[in-house]
Parts: sequence; C-alpha cells; structure tokens
Amino acid sequence: MDRRSFIKLTAVTGTSAALSGCGNPAAPLVRFVPDEDIMPGVAAWKPGVCPLCAAGCGLTVRVMDADADVVRNGQAGVVRILAAKKLEGGPMHPINQGGLCARGQAAIQVTYHPDRITQPLKRAGNRGDGRYEAISWDDALKEIVSRLDALEGVGNQKALAFVARHAYGHRAALVAQFLGRYGAPGPITYELFGDEVLRRANALSFGREQRPTFDLPNARFVLGFGADFLGTWNSPVAQGHGYGAMRQGRPGIRGAFVQVESRMSQTGANADEWVPARPGTEGVLALGLANVIIGAKLRPADAAGRAGSLIDGWSAGLSAYTPAEVERATGVAARRIERLARQFADTRPAVAIIGGPPLAHTNGLFSALAVNALNALVGSVEQPGGVFFTPQLDVVAAAKLQNVATTAPPPALDRFAAGILSAGAAPPQVLFIDGVNPVYAAPSAWRVREAFEKIPFIASFGSFLDDTSKLADLILPDHTFLESWSEAVPESGATIAVASVAPPVMSPLHQTRATADVLLDVGRRLRRPVALPWQTFDEMLAATFGALPKATPDADTWSDAQEKGGWWGTLPAGLAAAAAPAPAARPVTSAEPQFDGDPQQYPFHFLPYPSSAFLDGSLAHLPWLQEMPDPLTSAMWSSWVEVNPATATRLGIGQGDVVEIASAHGTVRTAAMISPGIAPDVLAMPVGQGHQTFTRYASGRGESPVPLLAPLTEPATGALAWAATRVRMSRVGDPDGRLILFAGGMREETETRR
Amino acid sequence: MPKWGMTADLDRCNGCGACVTACHAENNISTVGADEAARGRAKHWIRVERYWEGEFPDARLKFRPVMCQQCDNAPCEPVCPTYASHHTADGLNAQVYNRCIGTRYCANACPYNVRFFDFFNPSWDKPLHLQLNPDVSLREVGVMEKCTFCVQRIKAVTIQAKADDRPVADGEIQPACAQACPAQALVFGDLDDPESAVSRLSRSSRGSKLLEDLGTRPSVTYLDRQSRTDA
Repeated sequence: MDRRSFIKLTAVTGTSAALSGCGNPAAPLVRFVPDEDIMPGVAAWKPGVCPLCAAGCGLTVRVMDADADVVRNGQAGVVRILAAKKLEGGPMHPINQGGLCARGQAAIQVTYHPDRITQPLKRAGNRGDGRYEAISWDDALKEIVSRLDALEGVGNQKALAFVARHAYGHRAALVAQFLGRYGAPGPITYELFGDEVLRRANALSFGREQRPTFDLPNARFVLGFGADFLGTWNSPVAQGHGYGAMRQGRPGIRGAFVQVESRMSQTGANADEWVPARPGTEGVLALGLANVIIGAKLRPADAAGRAGSLIDGWSAGLSAYTPAEVERATGVAARRIERLARQFADTRPAVAIIGGPPLAHTNGLFSALAVNALNALVGSVEQPGGVFFTPQLDVVAAAKLQNVATTAPPPALDRFAAGILSAGAAPPQVLFIDGVNPVYAAPSAWRVREAFEKIPFIASFGSFLDDTSKLADLILPDHTFLESWSEAVPESGATIAVASVAPPVMSPLHQTRATADVLLDVGRRLRRPVALPWQTFDEMLAATFGALPKATPDADTWSDAQEKGGWWGTLPAGLAAAAAPAPAARPVTSAEPQFDGDPQQYPFHFLPYPSSAFLDGSLAHLPWLQEMPDPLTSAMWSSWVEVNPATATRLGIGQGDVVEIASAHGTVRTAAMISPGIAPDVLAMPVGQGHQTFTRYASGRGESPVPLLAPLTEPATGALAWAATRVRMSRVGDPDGRLILFAGGMREETETRR
Repeated sequence: MPKWGMTADLDRCNGCGACVTACHAENNISTVGADEAARGRAKHWIRVERYWEGEFPDARLKFRPVMCQQCDNAPCEPVCPTYASHHTADGLNAQVYNRCIGTRYCANACPYNVRFFDFFNPSWDKPLHLQLNPDVSLREVGVMEKCTFCVQRIKAVTIQAKADDRPVADGEIQPACAQACPAQALVFGDLDDPESAVSRLSRSSRGSKLLEDLGTRPSVTYLDRQSRTDA
C-alpha cells in the first residue's frame, strides 16, 4: 500500500467512525422542563443518615444537577434533576465524626441501582419464580387493606406477622404502634449476626440491655475477644476513629491492643499481640485473667460488684480458673495468661471488648458475662477509657402518644417457622417483610422458605427482589434513604444521647413510597382504622424532635435538627429510655460449648463471618463493594474458605483449589484460600455471596456458608449459635477461576512466603 | 507555590478499605465486573496492601494503603512519548488523558504498580450514571489513569481561596481517601509550609518512603506502625 491509498483509507474509516458517534437521528434527545429550581454546576451539601447498618452514622450528601432518563406521556427523554453525588461522613456527627466506612460510601448505589423495584408489583407467575406485573399504588393499598380487614372481620388480627431487623428508632416505633393498635404481635426480628446475647449480658451485668460503647481514645490497654470492632461489628466508624486516637492521638502515650480469636479478623490484624484461643473458651480465658488479678491482689474481687456476683465462685477468687486450668481449656499458655492479666490490671484505663464469634456459641452468654465482670473488676465501667452505654431517647415518650399500644411478644424466627410447619397450629395469614432476607440468612435447618411458602399472603417493602422477597405476592417498594425522611437513634457509638434525622435529599427517582407513610395510609383506610396522631412520618419526627431540649431558649429544636442532621446532648429524665432494673439471675458457671457434628467425622470448627464488604449479605448487590478487594485476601466478586497452611499441606490443598465443605446439614463447594491467620482446626468463610436472587451483580455469584449451619442456639436468648458447627473438608478440583484476587502476588507477599 | 504531599500513619490505619470505595465514588472509577477483574483489569487508584509475617500462631499482618506516590523524580514521566505523564509546578504527577496514546510505558516504569490502563470505555448500568462526579473527567479506552491527589478538590479550594483573597488553610483540602478515613490515618497538605500538619508528620522519626532506595523521591511518607512498647 502506498502512502496516498493509506491516507485515503484512514480518512474514510475515520469519517465513518465519527459519524456513528453522532447518535441515532431516529431517537432525538428530548429535554423536559425540570420540576425543581436548579442552579447548574453548584453543589449543595445536605445532611443524611446512613441506613446500611445499625450504627446510624451521620452523612453529608453532595447534591448537584444531573440528567436523568425519564418517560413522560409515552415520550422518552431526559430531565435535569437534583441528584445525590457523593456521601461523606457528617463532620460534626458525634458517632462517625467525619469518617465513613467503605459500605457507607457505597450506599448511594442503593438509590441508583439499575435493578431497583420502581413501582408496586403484583405476583403474576407461581410463587418464587419472580414474575410480576405492575399495579397502581391505589390498587396495591386496596389489596393490603382488604387482607387486613378480612382478618379483623373474623377477629384474627394476631394472624398478621411482620418480619424485620432489630431496630430502635422512630420507624421501628411506628411499626410497633401500628401492629399493636391493629392487634398483631410485635415484629419478629432476625439478624444472622445479631447481638441479642451481648444485650442480655449487659442487662444482667449492668442493667443496660444494649450494645456497649467504648471510650477508646482514652484507653491505654484494649483486650479484644473476637470482636471485629474495626471492621464489621457494633459501630465500626466510631470505633475506628477511637482506635486511631488510642494509638497516636496522645503525645507520648500509645495504647496497646491484644486480640483473642481463632481466626485473624481485620481487627485482629492490628493487634500488638494476637492470641489464638480454642473456639468457645474466650469466657474461660477472661476468668483466668480475673483469677490472676484477684489472686495477686491487683484488684479486690468485690470491685466487680454485681457483674462479678453473676459468676459462680467469683467472691472466692475463681479457684476453678487457675492459669494451669485455663491453659488446658483454652490452649493459651499459663505464663502468657499471667502476663496478660498483670498488663490488663496495671495499664489502666484498660477495657475488654467481646463480640462476634465468642458469643455465637452455646455458652455465649457465659463468655459475655465473664468479660463484663473483667471490665467491672478493673473499674472500667462508665469510666474514662472504659465501656459506656449510650443514653437512648425514648421515642414513644417523646412523641407524647396517648394510649401507647403494647404488642404481644413475637416468637423467634425459628419458632415462628416451626409453628407454621407443625400440624394443628393456627398459621399466620398475612406476612409483611421489611428489610430482612431470612431465606438467605437463616440456617436451612430452620426451613424458613418452606414455612413462608405456606403463608397465604406475603407483602414486601423492599427495594430489591431477593431470596425472600421473591416469595411475595405484593411488593410495595420503599423510598431509599436519600429520597425520604431518614432517622436513627443509635444504640451505641457515643457517650451522649444521639438522634439523627434528615429530610429527603432528592426527589424520588421512581414510583416508590416511604413505608412509614404507607403504614399510616393503610391504617387510615382500614374499616376499623388504626388511629395514629400523624398524617405522615415527618409529623412524628417533628413531634419527637420538638420535645427535645433546646440549645438556646429561642431555638427551634426541630429546625436545628434538620439542619445539623440530628440532635445530640443530654436527655432530660422523662425522655431517656429507663435503665432496666437488672433482672434477678443465678450465678453462672462455665459450660462447655456444644458443637454440632462428631469430631471424628467433622474435624474442623466452622466459622462463618460477616464479610468486610457485604456484612450479612445484605450489601452484595452494590457493585463498588463487589469489586472492593477484601482487606485480608484482596479477593473481589468471590467466595472462599480460609485454610491454615499446615492443614492445606496435609490435605494436599493448594491456593484456589476447589474444596467441598460438609456439615451434617449441608455441603458447599468453594475456593480454598491459604491463610496463616487461622488455627489448623478452624475453617472460616465469609458470609455475603451465594444469593439465588439479588440483582444482576449478586445473583448466583459465589457461595454462602449459611446453609451449612447447625440450628444450635444459645439457650437463654434463643440466638443462633452460628459458630458452633463442625465440618469436614475435601479437595474436589483444581483452581477453576472462581477465586478472583486483586493482588498480583509478588508485591504483597514476602520473599519467604512465595 | 505549594508542594502537595501526604502522610499515611500505619499505626492508625486498620485496613478497613473506606479509602478504596471513597476513591471510586469521587473519581468516577468504573467497576469492570468479575470477568475483567479476573484478567487483572480492575482499577483501584488506592489499595490496601497486606504483608503477612510469620506462621500460626505467631502470624502477623500489616496493612499499607498504597496510592500514586506523586514522586518528585518520577520514573513514569520521562518514558512518556507524549508528555501525558508530566510534573506540575505544585509537585503533582499529572496525567493528561487527552495526550495519552496508551503506550503503557509509564505503567511499566512505575515501581509502585499504581497506574491502571483502561481496556475499554467505561460504562454504568443506568441510572448508576447519576452518581458520577461532574468535576472529574471520564477516561476512555486506551488511556492510563491513576491517583491525582484529587486534583479537582485542590483546584476547587485554591480557586475559592483566590477569589476570597486569602491563603489556603492547612487541612482545607482533603482528598476523598483522607476525608473518608475513620481513623484519620491519611493527612494531606503543603510540604513547603513547615508548620502544616503534613510537614510536621513527615518529619516524624517513624517516617519512611516506599522503596525510597530507588531514588524516586515520593511525596507520600509512611509513618511506621509501632511495635509494642510495654511488653
């Protein structure tokens, strides 16, 4: 080819490429007149409340103009809207103090998710096959009202069941009042990684039935028992902020941190000293430390007060928990126990933190009580550098409700499912699902899906079709947190009372409605109306925030709170949730943890853990989180099981090999991840992937450890003992590409490990 | 003229990854999906590296957030045939996307592995495009991209300060990673101002530069994680 023809050719291809870029003239760009008054290119920052976990972090949301695709009167086009652009931590918010975790950053993708349910849907196919047809809001509400009227007509209001996450705040109070006034039992709450055991322990030890807050910036010695407090547990941003200050926030003082666990968590990776203990023996170790502290007269036994008196043998110095005895139980050397005990008692303020796996055993309550007693022994309860309990706003008292409705206590989810499946029981007729996915997150042995399928009518308020909501007959999609009034009354994370609130940040993108408003609407439409004093949810918020103390005499608390993103300060006595009088309890003795599965047949402890990206799986639909490398493994879009290198060598398993994990309840095939941070007799697997249905990004992706779990529970609370299953493992194949890592390997592994 | 720099306190960093997602949100970094990620095409302008040491039960893990080190003596700059990769007067290692012809010489030359190539045009499943930051240009196929120290935030604050006829205050500019970090491990500012927080931290006895023996003179200083002092 000569030069001339080459230039001709490139000229032709260049022109045709340019032309194809001009768009299709058959579909002209139609611009509709915006509904809102918009200044192009100018950003506003508005307060928000992060909805993704119970921490209740405050947000500041960047809002700017953007072009959204819309259809108006059958004509497709674009319209300029005010859209949220970025979420950042509220700089003044007392919980997160300007920070925001990876999950919170990705919360914006909930609103803009391409697979959001955009309008009410009615089931069109067989239950569970996911076929739906559009229905108007009016028809959808009529359907709900007729179902509830029918139950009321035969006096069977208790046949309405409501399944939700454990929540505390205005929305939860409104749901409870709706159910109570209608005559239904309270909401059934379920969370795989719930904190019922810790709440119960804190009620017993300290009279506070809530998750604790830690004053890390002032602590000099932090002793963690399995709690992933920098990653996924409790109030991670508040704790991460405190951790930074604990390490480097005080000139000349660097707080020390020791973590006890059998699989190194992201939190444990930061410890100065990492102490592997046998699963389920963490409480015994805590009492071993107390034995040394009391025996060496570093602190008197009675310093622990009530928390100590709950432990059998405490006042006698815990003679059953000598370092030698504790070494036998936990595998931690007696000399190390003595040293740690002296450090814990001498390096004050010292605080012990228990959470996660140690509480997910059949003896979890004992372990929590033991750690509570240890904190009380060294004087770390409600003291600087110690453990605190966030004063909580009593929402119902602040709302000045007349005739406060009380609900019958609901059954736990496992009992609820068993009740439906047992012959002769009067099953619920109507089920509302609100923000939970128990078909995914409950052990298969509970048979939740089978039970739900027997309920004649199911309605879901969720924004996405997932493993549970695809059983629904009717879907009434909620607004997202950016499109509606959002609020939180954090249970922990600050030493002062906090109530977060924020007005809608942007107009709803789709034909959705706020669930709180839908419930109020349904209540008004019933034949025997459920009388609540508010027309809309924000009227309830205005009532409670208006009742809070004013910053200055002529201030308006409600407008101030909307501007700041919440109210925080000291609660007057009438508005604070009363500290429950500590219930009477007999002293507890250590109980051996029970495990499901014969150790000969199932030689490994199985530890499912909340993944950094997806927590209990509820965030697996967000693409940023799918592609975020896992902090400990750099895995993206994947599932894996962590295996100790010696165990892997013994079984001939290499990195990425496909292995089969089997318990007495199920099997799963996943990729092996060789990890030095796990005990040889423990296998750990992140929860989060393995959804059958959960949007284009998570459906059918990876594997879930949940179906393997045994239905063992902690007996006092009925909470699932999710760390109490034993499993076996075998290699079934070579790496097949299912494990995707970000790290190339050479830069992130030391020479000796390669 | 300021000289922008950053410190990363490895004693505060706990590996949570908030910076990684914050960077995606701020800089319109497209996700590539599982298949392309498996081919090594995922883009993370900042990542948390992990260094395992020892064996169970004495295993130890150290985290290190790694982004473009904005080297003063940057190996990526002289190899670029089009001056797409060049040095700005305020010490940034800039990348001009419109000049880039995708030779990828810069990525080969960079010892920190922080440059990412766009193997295809970015796309977002609608309406995820509404999250895009209008201050940051999208990178098309065949272009190298990397951490900019959030140059759009630097520009926004300096322009505003100039309009107000005042100097930029220390701490007024926060890249998205530093802004999000719960533990406040990342500090950004002017290294030419000896009183700025980043200057003071950079002079810490705990400070070191990544692969500093290569002579790249990075603008990022890592403050060592301390070992236990009381054991």
